[in-house]
Amino acid sequence: MRITTEAKAAMRLKIVETAKLLFAERGFEQTTTRDIAQAAEIATGTLFNYFPTKEAIVQELVDEALRAAEVRLSEQTSSSAGTDLEVSLDEELFAIVAAGLRALKPLRTYLSALWQTVFSPLASATDDSDSFRARHLECVSSVLVRHGFSADVAPNVLQLYWTLYTGVLVFWTSDKSPKQEDTLALLDQSMRMFAGWLIAERPPSRRKKSSA
Amino acid sequence: MALTVAQLMDALPESEDREIEELAVADRVADPRSLASMWPVPVGRFHRLRLLGTLQAKIGAAYLFHWVRGWFRNAEENKRLLAETHWKTALRVLDSMTYLRGAVMKLGQMLATLPNVAPKEFIEALDCLYFQAPPMHWSLLRELVHNELGDDPENIFASFDKQAFAAASLGQVHRARLKTGEDVVVKIQYPGIARTIREDMRNLALFMLPSRLNRDWDCLKDQVDDLCLRMEYETDYEREASTQEAVRKLFSEDDGIVVPRVFREYSTSRVLTMERLDGVHLDEFMATNPSDDVRNEFARKLLRSGYRMSYTGRLMYADLHPGNFLFMPDGRLGLLDFGMVVPIEGEFWELMRRMDRGFSTGVQADRINGIKEWSWITDERQDAEPLRLLDQFTDWTWRSRSTIGEYDFCDEAEFRRGIDLFLALLRTRFARGRSQTLSISRLNFGLASFLYRLKAKVAVLPIAEQEVRATGWDRSEYALRCDA
Ligand SMILES: Nc1ncnc2c1ncn2[C@@H]1O[C@H](COP(=O)(O)OP(=O)(O)OP(=O)(O)O)[C@@H](O)[C@H]1O
Repeated sequence: MRITTEAKAAMRLKIVETAKLLFAERGFEQTTTRDIAQAAEIATGTLFNYFPTKEAIVQELVDEALRAAEVRLSEQTSSSAGTDLEVSLDEELFAIVAAGLRALKPLRTYLSALWQTVFSPLASATDDSDSFRARHLECVSSVLVRHGFSADVAPNVLQLYWTLYTGVLVFWTSDKSPKQEDTLALLDQSMRMFAGWLIAERPPSRRKKSSA
Repeated sequence: MALTVAQLMDALPESEDREIEELAVADRVADPRSLASMWPVPVGRFHRLRLLGTLQAKIGAAYLFHWVRGWFRNAEENKRLLAETHWKTALRVLDSMTYLRGAVMKLGQMLATLPNVAPKEFIEALDCLYFQAPPMHWSLLRELVHNELGDDPENIFASFDKQAFAAASLGQVHRARLKTGEDVVVKIQYPGIARTIREDMRNLALFMLPSRLNRDWDCLKDQVDDLCLRMEYETDYEREASTQEAVRKLFSEDDGIVVPRVFREYSTSRVLTMERLDGVHLDEFMATNPSDDVRNEFARKLLRSGYRMSYTGRLMYADLHPGNFLFMPDGRLGLLDFGMVVPIEGEFWELMRRMDRGFSTGVQADRINGIKEWSWITDERQDAEPLRLLDQFTDWTWRSRSTIGEYDFCDEAEFRRGIDLFLALLRTRFARGRSQTLSISRLNFGLASFLYRLKAKVAVLPIAEQEVRATGWDRSEYALRCDA
């Protein structure tokens, strides 16, 4: 019996939705793949055909959330285009990350499942171009270009950015301050530091006259 | 006791991080948007300190250190060493409090010109003694409003200005309009700054004044603790909202004094939304060359608002600086910012009653009795000089209140006399007094400098006598008669 693509997609969705509920109810650590299979009324083996590990399910959830955030962000940017307020580099970077944090909020407590993979500072550039890292850095690059940096932004710059970004994420998942306000402060200061450093490092010829 | 800057610098304790100092990077980058200004600049002692990186700030710290050290001149060696160690730690805590940058710099500027400080410098320094949060861009504000009020500003408000309309000490103030049509301002705190300040204050108090030297020292410690407590108050917008609502109730339409209405549905401990008042600050008002009558009418309203708060509201407005008053085009006085208001209750209220007897008559014998009680003055010889100075200072503070007829607040020589007396008192290191002494001094100087700048000439006594009736105190034996 052949399974249609649609049926496959429906099954993936069912598994992911079931897992989301269970994670929220019992916590990520307390939920096993068997629990998920049972709740989704499928065999554990079937589950493994779709997701080899529990982490893979989280990754799917994260991916879904972040894609939604990317869409929202681009809508937001286009709707504010044309307003006379000039948006600084650090603010644009802040907005990208903040949109992601909002989308990831329901998953905050079990993001740690992805520290070794998707959100590792070492997550490598050889990942497929559709990986979250690749998409995120693509977005950051285009912001940098818009702010007058050359299109071939040095890989080290992006690596540094990624390290900061994943650092903020790690901080966020264990942030105990009210409404995770400390993360907002850390993010604000990190992006200001990064933008400030980048602008300072820009070759003199490209710097604005006023700063000479 | 004039000190040179060099002498002061020598008073600063030696930095302990010699080896790291080598790594210090000077202001390599001229771009003001870069963080270079936050990098340490190697200019001698404590050059790794960020907040104290400027000369003015260093002078402020050095002066404070010099002053504190004076207390230990006669203390035993071990006590003195311990104090210095604590002091170094306190300096480090202080240094990490970057939101104090403006205040410390301004204070340093003023102290650098001691003892010849001019009224203008003194007033300017007073104006600047508040926190300074980093600026916030729109994207950060959106997140904060979303966190605090549950949705984006564009969904909650009919309109919301992206650009700040004024800086607040802990964040910034934005104009907005509610969906129900009211024009409001929204005051938003920089994330986490309230908690940071509270923790810092506790640490600072812990390290700065740990030892017990004598009675005076203990009093000083109480006063610093009180100051820290009030700074903590200022960080809580929920508390501020409650105070603001209480003060608002104290005034009726006839008073011509307004306190903006708070919109609780749009306020939290980090966000304060209130009615927007139309008006200008003191400097802008003075620039319009207002007539004597107009200026004096505002002065009377200011005085009335202060007395009303104390006597009817039993609240002390400890942060009397010009940013907190709006001169409205229709002649009303707008009162803002109730973060620093402290309740006058219990023993403090009783003291107020006794001090009324002591200070409001303008009679020296009454005053001396009041001062002796307030500052625990004994008949011992070493108390004679402080008593003499306190008497003069108290006379200076209360003179307008006991003058029958108009009092001229813009007499520069008289204002200068107040500053000189205050500095002379500082130099005696006499610190005995109630924990509220510092707040009261600040309030009195704030009031005097405000009315000085407003070039006010008004009769204070009738206003005070009218307002003090709300206390129900029996003043028949001593109250001054005024036929206003
Ligand atoms: N209700 C209001 N209507 C009009 N302007 C206002 C209002 N509230 C605040 N402002 C403006 O915002 C400024 C800062 O507000 P406020 O004094 O309440 O802040 P703050 O954090 O207590 O700052 P500070 O300690 O510096 O006084 C005021 O000086 C005033 O110009």
